[in-house]
Amino acid sequence: MTALLTLHAVTGAIAILFGRRLGRRAVYVAGLGPLVTFAWLIAEFGTILDREPITESVRWVPRLGLDFDLRADGFGALMLLLVAGIGVLVFVYSNAYFPPNKEGLGRLIGLVGLFAGSMVGLVLADNLLILYGFWELTTITSFLLIGNDHTDARARAAALQALLVTGAGGLAMLAGLLIVGHEAETFSLSGLIADPPAPSTALTVGLALVLVGAFSKSAQWPFHGWLPGAMVAPTPVSAYLHSATMVKAGVYLIARLAPAFAGPVGWWRPAVVTIGLTTMVVGGLRALRQTDLKLLLAFGTVSQLGMMVAVFGLGTADAVAAGSVLLLGHAAFKAAAFMVVGALDHAHGTRDLRRLPRPERGQRPVALIGAIAAASMAGVPFALGFVAKEYDLEALQHSPWAPGLVTAAAVVGSALTAAYSLRFFWGSIGRMATESPDPAVAARRSPPGLVVPGLVLTAATFVAGVVPDVLDRLVSASAASLRPTVGSVHLDVFHGFNLTLVLSLVALGGGALIFALRRPLEPVLALGGELPVTAATGYAAALRALNRTADRVTGVVQNGSLPIYLGVIVLTAAIVPGTLLLSGAWNDGDGAIVDSWSQAAIAALILGAAAAATALHRRFTAALFLGVVGYAMAGLFVVRGAPDLAVTQVGIETLTTVLFVLVLRRLPDRFEQRTAAPMRVLRIGVAVVVGLTVFGLALATGAEDPATTVSDTFIERAYPDGHGRNVVNVILVDFRGFDTLGEITVLAAAAIGAVALARAGRRPGGVRDSAAPPPVPLDRITVLEVSTKVVFIALSTAAIYLLLAGHNQPGGGFAGGIVAGAAVALRYISGGIESVRRLSRSKPWTPLGVGLITAAGAAIVPLLFGGSVLESGVHTLDVPVLGEVKLTSALAFDTGVFLVVIGLAMMVFESFGDDPPARSRDTAGGTR
Amino acid sequence: MSVASLLAAADTVPAPDVEWSALSPFLVVVVGACLLLPIAGLLPRRTRVAWSALFTIAVALGAIGASAWVWHDLSRVGPTERTTVAGAYAVDKFSLFLIVVICVGVILATLLTEGYLRREDLPGAEAYLLYLASASGAIIMVTAADLIVLFIGLEVLSIAAYVLAGLHRRRLRSGEAALKYFVLGGFSSAFFLYGVALIYGATGTTNLVGIAEYLATHRLLDEGLLLAGIGLLIVGFAFKVGGVPFHVWTPDVYQGSPSPVVAFMASVVKAAAFAGMLRVVVVALSTHRLDWQPILYAIAVLSMIVGAVLAVVQSDVKRMLAYSSINHAGFMLAAVSTGADEGIAAVLFYLAAYTVLIGGTFGIVTLFGRRGDGHHDIDDYRGLARREPFLALALTIFLLAQAGTPLTAGFLAKFYVIQAVVDAGSWWLGLVAMLAATISAFLYLRIVLTMYAGVTDADVEVAEPTAEPVRRIHVPLGAKVAIAAALVLTIAIGVVPDPLTHASRTARPELVAPGD
Repeated sequence: MTALLTLHAVTGAIAILFGRRLGRRAVYVAGLGPLVTFAWLIAEFGTILDREPITESVRWVPRLGLDFDLRADGFGALMLLLVAGIGVLVFVYSNAYFPPNKEGLGRLIGLVGLFAGSMVGLVLADNLLILYGFWELTTITSFLLIGNDHTDARARAAALQALLVTGAGGLAMLAGLLIVGHEAETFSLSGLIADPPAPSTALTVGLALVLVGAFSKSAQWPFHGWLPGAMVAPTPVSAYLHSATMVKAGVYLIARLAPAFAGPVGWWRPAVVTIGLTTMVVGGLRALRQTDLKLLLAFGTVSQLGMMVAVFGLGTADAVAAGSVLLLGHAAFKAAAFMVVGALDHAHGTRDLRRLPRPERGQRPVALIGAIAAASMAGVPFALGFVAKEYDLEALQHSPWAPGLVTAAAVVGSALTAAYSLRFFWGSIGRMATESPDPAVAARRSPPGLVVPGLVLTAATFVAGVVPDVLDRLVSASAASLRPTVGSVHLDVFHGFNLTLVLSLVALGGGALIFALRRPLEPVLALGGELPVTAATGYAAALRALNRTADRVTGVVQNGSLPIYLGVIVLTAAIVPGTLLLSGAWNDGDGAIVDSWSQAAIAALILGAAAAATALHRRFTAALFLGVVGYAMAGLFVVRGAPDLAVTQVGIETLTTVLFVLVLRRLPDRFEQRTAAPMRVLRIGVAVVVGLTVFGLALATGAEDPATTVSDTFIERAYPDGHGRNVVNVILVDFRGFDTLGEITVLAAAAIGAVALARAGRRPGGVRDSAAPPPVPLDRITVLEVSTKVVFIALSTAAIYLLLAGHNQPGGGFAGGIVAGAAVALRYISGGIESVRRLSRSKPWTPLGVGLITAAGAAIVPLLFGGSVLESGVHTLDVPVLGEVKLTSALAFDTGVFLVVIGLAMMVFESFGDDPPARSRDTAGGTR
Repeated sequence: MSVASLLAAADTVPAPDVEWSALSPFLVVVVGACLLLPIAGLLPRRTRVAWSALFTIAVALGAIGASAWVWHDLSRVGPTERTTVAGAYAVDKFSLFLIVVICVGVILATLLTEGYLRREDLPGAEAYLLYLASASGAIIMVTAADLIVLFIGLEVLSIAAYVLAGLHRRRLRSGEAALKYFVLGGFSSAFFLYGVALIYGATGTTNLVGIAEYLATHRLLDEGLLLAGIGLLIVGFAFKVGGVPFHVWTPDVYQGSPSPVVAFMASVVKAAAFAGMLRVVVVALSTHRLDWQPILYAIAVLSMIVGAVLAVVQSDVKRMLAYSSINHAGFMLAAVSTGADEGIAAVLFYLAAYTVLIGGTFGIVTLFGRRGDGHHDIDDYRGLARREPFLALALTIFLLAQAGTPLTAGFLAKFYVIQAVVDAGSWWLGLVAMLAATISAFLYLRIVLTMYAGVTDADVEVAEPTAEPVRRIHVPLGAKVAIAAALVLTIAIGVVPDPLTHASRTARPELVAPGD
C-alpha cells in the first residue's frame, strides 16, 4: 500500500515537472497510479471481502505514536474502488477532453494524479493524524486544481474560498482529532472505533470540531458555498474531485465515527441528521434554479451529500449498509452525469440548458448516458439509484431519533432530487432551449474517449440496478467493517409493497409534479435559495468583519508612536506585578520612612523640583530643576550620614548640569507642542500608576531582609584587609576592584563613543545640522574670567586632596575626578573650548588612556610580586608638610580612576563644547 | 586591558572551579568575536565583507561542533548535566540544543547579510561582530543558572541587537527602529532587573537551584514579593519574545530593521528569551505554576489572536511577518504555559523549526526588497512567480510551512504545541491555537496568492510596458546557500522529524546544585 502511495507521488511529480513537454500525454504517466491501484484492489478483493483487513505499518515518529498505519478493510475497499476506478475513467476521459497542448495541462493532470494518491492515503489511513495529513493534501490539490487557470480572477477567488473553508474546517478537525485522540488515548482509527471513549465535555468539543471539518469538506449547509464555486475547474476535475471522491471524505469520516458515537453521544444524531437533511433540501432547491448544467449538478451533489451524511450519521446497522449502496450509486451516476456535461460542452461550447440544442444522431450515446444517469439520480426503478434510495428510506424510517420527521424530510429531498434530475435530463437533450439554437453553437462529434467512460459507469449503474446481488459481498464487507455486528447484507430490487416503496413512488411523483409545475412554483423555489444567511454572504461577511476589526485595532494601537508603545508596555508591566504585590501583606517592614523633619523638607524640595521639571515648557529651566533634584538628593545623603555619596553626587550633578546646557544649546528652546488635554490626563494617569508601582516595589524590596548580608563583613574587614577607613572607597578599589576596572573601561569606551557620535552628527551638510538652530555663542566677562582662575586652582587642589585622602576619609578617585571635571567646566564657561584646550598640551584622550593603563597596571603589578590581582600593599611615608602619608597600592588604582574621569569630562567638552564654526554663525546673523 | 591578562589572572585568584571544556561553545563564540575585529581591520576593504562572513560562519560552525562534542560527552559520561563557575552556568543538553539553534540562526543571518551589505553598499565586519556578540549573550542566557548571569546575557544580547536594528545607517526607518527598540528594551530590562531584585528579596538567592530549593522547602507567609518578582521577570521575557501586550515594538522594528537582521532577531533573540523563560519560570519556579500559569495563558492567547488578526490587514510584507512572529510567539508561549516536559520539548522543536523557516523567509524577503530594502509592499510582490519562479516557490514553501502545512517543519512544530497543550488538559487553549492558526493561514495565503496572481490582471498589463524593465533579482551566493539550506531543512524536518524530536525531548533543562 505504501508502494501505491509512492507510485502516485512519483508519477504525479513527473507529470508536473515534465508537464510542458508531455502535454496531454501526461495522462499516461499520472494515470498509472489509479490503474495500478485498481489492479491491486481487484487482486486483493477476495481477501478484503472475506473481512480480512490488510494492514501495513511504517514507523515514522514512534515517540509520538505517529506511525504510518494503513489499513484496507471493507469500507476502505469500497472507497478505494471509487477513487481508483473512477480515477482511471477520468484519466481516459481527460485524454479526449483536453486539447493536446493546452497551457499548463501537464501540471493539471499531474495534480489530479497527486490528488488520487492523497485520496487513496485518506481512505487507507488508520492513524487519525495520518488521515488528517492526507485530508489536507486533498484540500491543497483541490485548491490548486480549481485555481489552475491563474489568469482567471473568478477561478482564483473560487479556489481561495474552497481552500479557506475546507482548510479552516481541516484545522478545526485537527484540533478535534487531537482532543478525541487524547480522550481515547490512541490515535489509531480502528482502535478508536473499537473502544470509544466515554462521553465527556472534552469529547463533545472534540467531536463537534471533527464534524465541522467533515461538514466543510463535504459541503454541508452552511459551509456548502465553496462547492458550486469550484465548478470553474475543468469538467474532469469536477467529475472526479467535486462529485465522486474528495467531497466524500467528510462522509467517509462520519461513516467511520457514527457507529461508535451515534449511540453514546446523545446530540450526535439530532445534529448530524439535521444538518444532512437540511443540506439535502437546500441543495435540491438551489439545483432547481440553475441554468448551467454543471452548477445544477454541483447543487445536486450538495443535496446528495446531505443525504449521505444523514444516513451514515444514524450509525445503525441498516444505515451503514444503505449508505454504502448510496455511495456507490451516487459516484456512478454523478460522475457519468458530469461526463455528459463535459461532452456536451465539448460538442456545443456551452453548458447552458437554455442554449443546448437537441442531440443529433452522433450525440445519441451521450444522451443515453445522460438519461440513465438522470434516472439513477431520480431513483427510477432498475437503476442503482433506486436501490440505494429504497435502503436509505428504510434506514431512516428506523432512525432511533425522530423517525417520522427525518423520513418526511428525506422524501421531500428525494422529490426535489427527482425534479432536478428531470431538469438535468430535459436540459441535456435540448428540451428546455428557450431560443432557437445559436448558429455559433456548432455541434462537434463526441470522440469515443468522452463516451466510453460514461458508458462504463452507466452500464454499472444499470446492471447493479437490475441485479443488485452483485454488490452483496462488497456492501456486506463494507457494512461489517463499519459496524462489526452487521451480518451479511442481501440487496434486492423489490421488497414487496411496503411503506418504503410507497414513499419512493411519492418522491418520484412529487418530483415530476414539481418539475411540471416549475413555472407556477417559481416564487416558492426562490425562497429556498435565498435563506437569510447563505454560505456565500456569510463567507464574505466574515472576511470583511475580520478585515475591518483588524484594521481599526491596528490604527489605534500601532500608530508608530513611541509614547503609546511605552505606555502600553509600562502600564501592563506595572499593573500585573503591582496587583500581585498588593496580594501579599508587603508593608510590614520597619514603619519609619521619615526620620527627621529635615528629610521631609528635602523630600518636598525634590518633589517640587521634579514636578516643576515636568511642567515647564523651557528645556533649559527643566534641566536646571533636574539639577535641583540631584542636589537635594545629595542633601538626603548627608542627612543619612553618607558624606562620601553626597560629595560624589554634588560633583556629578554639577558636571551633568553643565553638560546638559551644552547639549541644550543645540536644541530648540522649548519643548514641542503640548498634547491635547484628554491625552495629557491619560499620560498623567499612566505615570501615576507606574510611579506608585515602582514606589511599592522599592518599599517591598527594602522591607525584606536578605538572608545574608555582606555589608557587615565589608565594614569589619575594611581596615585590616584594605588599609582604609573609608569603606566605600575600599570597596571600590579593593573588594570590588575588578568591577571598578570594568566600569572605567566602559566609561572610557562610552567617552570615545560619545565623541564619535558627536563628530558624526556634525558632518558638513548633514541633515541634523541644518535642522537644528545654530548654537548660541557664549559671551566673555572679565570679572568672571579672573575669579574662575582663582576658583579653578582651589577646585583642582580640592580634587587632588579628595583623591589622596579618599582611602580614609570621604572622597576617592571618582569623586576627585568629578570635582576636577567641574573645574574644567568652570574653565570652559569662562573661556570657551580654547581655554580648556590650553589646560594641557595633551589631547583629552591622553588622560583617558593613561588612567586606564594606570588602573590596569595597579591591578596587575601585584602579580609580579607573587600576589594576586589587585592585592593591596601599603607603605608609610613621612612627608614634611602633610605629615604621615600612607601610600597604598590602591592609590595608584584610584589615580587611574581619577584620570579616566577627567579625561571623560575633557572629551565631552571637546566634542560638544566647541563653539559653532564661523559658517553657521554667519548664517545665523543673516537670518537675524 | 586585554582578555588574555584577565584569563591569566583568573588562574591566580581563588577562582571558582571552571570547567573550560563544558564552556567551549561559548568560548568559541566569544574568542571568535574578539578575533573578528582585528582580522576584519587587517583585511582590504574590498574583500572585508566576504571574508568576515566566512570567518563568522566558521566560528558558528565551531561552536556547533563544540556543542556536539559536549553533548556527546554528556551522553557518555553519565550525568546529563553539569554546572560550572560556581553554579552560575548549567551546561546541559537543553542549553546545548539551543546553542546549536542560535548558531544556525547566526549562520543563516550571516549568509544573508553578506549579500545585503554588498547590495546596500554598507561597510563590513560590524554586522558580523554584532551577530557574534549578540549570540554570545544569547548563549549566556540559555546557559545561565543564576538570575544575575541571565541578566548579563540579556543585556549583551539586547544591546548588540539594538545596534543591529540601526545597521542601515542611511535609512531613516532603520534608525527609528533602533531607537524604539532601544528605549522600550531598556524599560523591559529594568523591569526584569526589578523582578530579580524582588525574587532575591523573597528567597535570599539569585541562583536558580537555590531558588527552587528554597521554595520547595519553605512556605512563604507572604508571597506578594515573590509573585510580583515572577510577574516582572515574565514581563522582561515577554518583551523579548514579542508577546502581546509587550509586542508593540515588533512591527515597527521588523519593518525598519535590515531584513537579514530581522531573521536574526526573530530566531536568536526569541530562542534565548524562551530559554530563559523555560529555565527560570517553568523549571526553577515550578512550585508556583498555578500563579504564573494564568499570566502566560493570557499572553499566549492574546499573542496568538492579535498576531494573527492584525497580520491579515497589513499591507507591508515585513509588517505582516512581524505580526506573524507575534503569532508564533503565542504558540510557543502556549506550550510554555503547560509547564510540562512535553511543552518544553514542543518549544524547543518550535524554536529549531522556526529558526530555519524564518531564515529562509527573510532570506527571500531580503532579495525581494531589492536595493534600498524598500520594496516590501504587498503590491510589489504581485506577479513575482512569473519573474522569479524559484524564489517564489521557495517563499511559498516557507510560508506554507509557517502556516503549518503537513510534511513541513512548521506542521510538527504547531502539532507538538497543540498536543502538549491538550495533554496538559487545557484543550480550550488548543482550540484558540487552532483558531489563530486558521486566521494566520489566510495571511500566508495572501502573500502566496499575490505572488502567483496578477500577472495578467489588466492593471499590470497596462503598467508593464510603461514601467522600466524590471531586472531579474540578483541572488548572491550566500543567500543561495542560506535559502537552499533552509529549504532542505524545512522539508527534511517535516518528513523525517524523528532526530529533531528525539533531541528536543532529551534536552530537558536541569537544575543541579553546584557541588555535583
